[in-house]
Amino acid sequence: MTRLTFSRRQSLAVIGGAAATVAMPAVVRAQSTEISVHYSMPAIFKEAQDAVMAAFVIKHPEVKATYFNPTPTYEDGAQLLLRNAATNSMPDISFQGLNRLRMFAERGIAQDLAPLLAKDGDPAKLGYSKALLGLGFHAKVQCGLAFATSNPISYYNMDLLKKAGITDAGSPTSWDKVIENSKRIKALGDGNEGMFFRWPGDDWMFSSLLYGHGGRMLNEAETDVAFNGPEGLAALKLLDRMVKEGGMPNYAGTADLQAFAAGKLGQMFRTTAQVRSISNSVGTNFQLQTSLMPVIDAQKGRLPTGGAGGMITTTDPRKQEAAWKFLKFATSAEGTTLMTKNTGYVPCNQLAIDDPSYLADFYKQNPLFQAATRQVPLMVPWYAFPGQNSVRVTQVMVDNLARIAEQKATPEQVLADMATEVRKLIPRQG
Amino acid sequence: MSDASPAIALGSATSAHMRPRVLFPDIAAGWFLTLPAILAYVLMILLPLLGVLLLAFTDYEFGSKSFNWIGLENFAAMTADRTFLASIRNTVVYCLFVVPLSIGLALLLAILIEAGARGRTFFRAVFFLPVVSLTVAMATAWQYLLHPSIGPVNVVLRGLGLGAPNWLGSSDWVLISLGIIGVWDNVGFNLVLFLAGLTTIPRDLYAAAEIDGAKGAWSRFTLVTWPLLGPTLLFVIVITMTRSVRVFDTVQTLTQGGSNHASEVLLRTIYQEGFHYFKFGYSAAITLVFLAIVLAIMLVQTRLIDRRVHYG
Amino acid sequence: MKDLPRLAVLGMAAMIMLVPYVWMLAVSVKPQDEVFSASLTLLPEKWALIENYGKVLRTIPVLTFVMNGLIVCFGILFFQLLFAVPAAYALAKLNFRGREVLFGFVMLGLLVPYQTTALPLYLGFHQAGLLNSYTALIAPFTCSVFAIFMLRQFFKALPDDLIAAARIDGMGEFSIVWRVILPNAWPAMTAFAIFSVVAHWNDLFWPLIVIQKGDLYTPAMGILAFRSVESGDDYGVLMAAATLVAAPLVFAFLFAQRRFIEGVTMSGLKG
Repeated sequence: MTRLTFSRRQSLAVIGGAAATVAMPAVVRAQSTEISVHYSMPAIFKEAQDAVMAAFVIKHPEVKATYFNPTPTYEDGAQLLLRNAATNSMPDISFQGLNRLRMFAERGIAQDLAPLLAKDGDPAKLGYSKALLGLGFHAKVQCGLAFATSNPISYYNMDLLKKAGITDAGSPTSWDKVIENSKRIKALGDGNEGMFFRWPGDDWMFSSLLYGHGGRMLNEAETDVAFNGPEGLAALKLLDRMVKEGGMPNYAGTADLQAFAAGKLGQMFRTTAQVRSISNSVGTNFQLQTSLMPVIDAQKGRLPTGGAGGMITTTDPRKQEAAWKFLKFATSAEGTTLMTKNTGYVPCNQLAIDDPSYLADFYKQNPLFQAATRQVPLMVPWYAFPGQNSVRVTQVMVDNLARIAEQKATPEQVLADMATEVRKLIPRQG
Repeated sequence: MSDASPAIALGSATSAHMRPRVLFPDIAAGWFLTLPAILAYVLMILLPLLGVLLLAFTDYEFGSKSFNWIGLENFAAMTADRTFLASIRNTVVYCLFVVPLSIGLALLLAILIEAGARGRTFFRAVFFLPVVSLTVAMATAWQYLLHPSIGPVNVVLRGLGLGAPNWLGSSDWVLISLGIIGVWDNVGFNLVLFLAGLTTIPRDLYAAAEIDGAKGAWSRFTLVTWPLLGPTLLFVIVITMTRSVRVFDTVQTLTQGGSNHASEVLLRTIYQEGFHYFKFGYSAAITLVFLAIVLAIMLVQTRLIDRRVHYG
Repeated sequence: MKDLPRLAVLGMAAMIMLVPYVWMLAVSVKPQDEVFSASLTLLPEKWALIENYGKVLRTIPVLTFVMNGLIVCFGILFFQLLFAVPAAYALAKLNFRGREVLFGFVMLGLLVPYQTTALPLYLGFHQAGLLNSYTALIAPFTCSVFAIFMLRQFFKALPDDLIAAARIDGMGEFSIVWRVILPNAWPAMTAFAIFSVVAHWNDLFWPLIVIQKGDLYTPAMGILAFRSVESGDDYGVLMAAATLVAAPLVFAFLFAQRRFIEGVTMSGLKG
């Protein structure tokens, strides 16, 4: 007869095993997963990212996230990722310009977030509306989540406008008015400039003029350019008028920001993303006001959505999970609130937008940030050119715009050249 | 000064009169001692050079798994490439601006410094400062100075009633601005070389010239200084040219080739095409053009030196 | 005084030369709102020395950049001399078959600027998994044909009796290099050292290509990166950063002027 008793050794083993099972979560927690995060434009995003990271670390101590060195512009960020993809040293998460997510989806670098989203239930409940998800949906894949969205707004130096005798300043409703004001400010002399429309850097601001007229970049099938129609010509003619009549200078780099902060630039048109940093630079130098972009076409006019979206590149399941935690947090109501307060971008989580406890007070106390939110109904996605040469396309467009800014070519010439050159760079279908 | 004084190094291409009487023959030692250098040379210079030569005839893109041999297609593409043509033109213009100005100024300043006894060390140090200063840092300082509306330079110009150009933004002015910074950068280096050359000119020659009737400073210069500075001058020209043709830091920092490629230069185009657009094949072809230009400069120098040696 | 016009001209030229430095320092101690509003005044109304320099030291690892600069420059120099001294000696004093061929390659190397070999070198380091490393920053420059050339010139001028005596004493060639030649090569070596350190401290092209990790940034890259962070917001802080990163070499120069100048003239005059 066998005695059904455990030997001492066996019982110890059982107890030990049980204890181990109970202790397991603690052990697992002690093993943190490391992920690397990359973003661009530290001038705009550094504080926001730092704030998000600080809050994330408290909530998820089991994930150790470190930053890659941030790249100066979205273009550099795209190049970094392409280069590192070739050398297998990609950051696990990368915040790319919204118009670049498509390229990474096409190349299989951006991982599909749909399965990760599905695990957490209904995305709408987490604040990811259809529109927001749409910003990161390309090549039939949910390749990214919008982290920060922006649209172009107007910045005004109210003191300088007043000095030029403009009393109804602050929200001119047309470009004619803006150009008129610019003429008067420039007449003040002493190095004062009337306006600057930030066309350099990439195609974003040009697209705001193009969309404002109701135009589009490429045709529906993406086989040919569509910006060389009447809308495109009107957009270029407007740019031309800014220089010819408004006396717009050809500022390079960040010279416009510096001139504006020093009180030498009356009207500035650029992304809402820099509201926080611009108001810091301006300080008490003068009274700053932001407003909507002048309306061109009340019916068909639209504005491009700028900003960044986070994508996950790692295929390692454990890292993916950790990365997802970070991305989810960054785009959660809490994360997007931190981001909004530290930049000027529009929040990317419906909960944060709807729920007064997150941002209502903030907007009440910071009217400068409101302009962008009032333009949300007009936002359309930032156009992503298809194919291998998408980065070169934006460069080609900027180069051509420079010719107008320097009055070296007419809008008609530039439009024709731009169309020819871009046509050469987009993939030929069929 | 010791045997290795600049004068001797200057004067002789080969120290013929110093050839030792006995050369110890030792093949083993010879090769053994040069081996590390040879290995480094082969790995880091020779093989990569051959690599560039090969890449230039392919369409290789970084990150792609395969490539094709396309013969001279890259070079054909260059002739139609607006950016590349701008690049060559701008590099030439930049050199034509920087080389004569930085050499002329350096020579003038060197003569002035040599002409008196006071302040030599001080002035030499001041003019040499840009050479040891981090180019990227100083370019940033220049960017502040040259800000079109609020930089000190334009504020002064406006105060004087002169125009206030858009130094770094305008495609008409950007090369001039970069050229000014380039001259500022190079003057000190050339100055020091000229100083060394000037000190080797024996004083008695000036005395002799004066006795022979050379009265003013100008005739002293043309009769004594200029001819004897010949080798130094030639050398300085070549050095400055090769330094100028390699301009990169200021462009990359300040203008990134803008506006509309008005400040695009060869090295930057090589960098952009290769490491921004990943067109390694094309970038290698441009590199070969760049190398050809550098070799051409060196070739001209050798020819001119030969002429001087035989007829001068 | 007869000297007055000369000093006046030189003085004016010197002032123009120093303009960027003066303004760099002046702006680095100005608070943000004063940087552009009164760009002609040198002294700030409100001193922001501590704020600006403090912010720089807090936000960017200036010390790391300087350390990297030192590691890379002296690493390169070490290997350059290690390879060049024996090679130059062999080419100068030993007679062996193939010597002229080797020297021919040295001359060839002098014609080739290092930027021309960047693309394949990058591919090579990539294949070897050595991108983003000190190795990638140092290795390409270890064979300095310039050092070989210059040292060869110098060694040729050294008296043969020195070497003959050492041989009689039974020294092998290897020991001769390190025990007899090296101590006598001091002036040429320091001259080259200075030339090399200045060139590599300033280098932007190669580090820009091979380094993407912030903790390996060299001084030039560090400033470039910081420019994009500051992005024209606070020029005072940017100037403070520029000052801090440019300072080491400038101080070294002011401290050892003669050596620097000698370095340039000696290394420069190859005739």
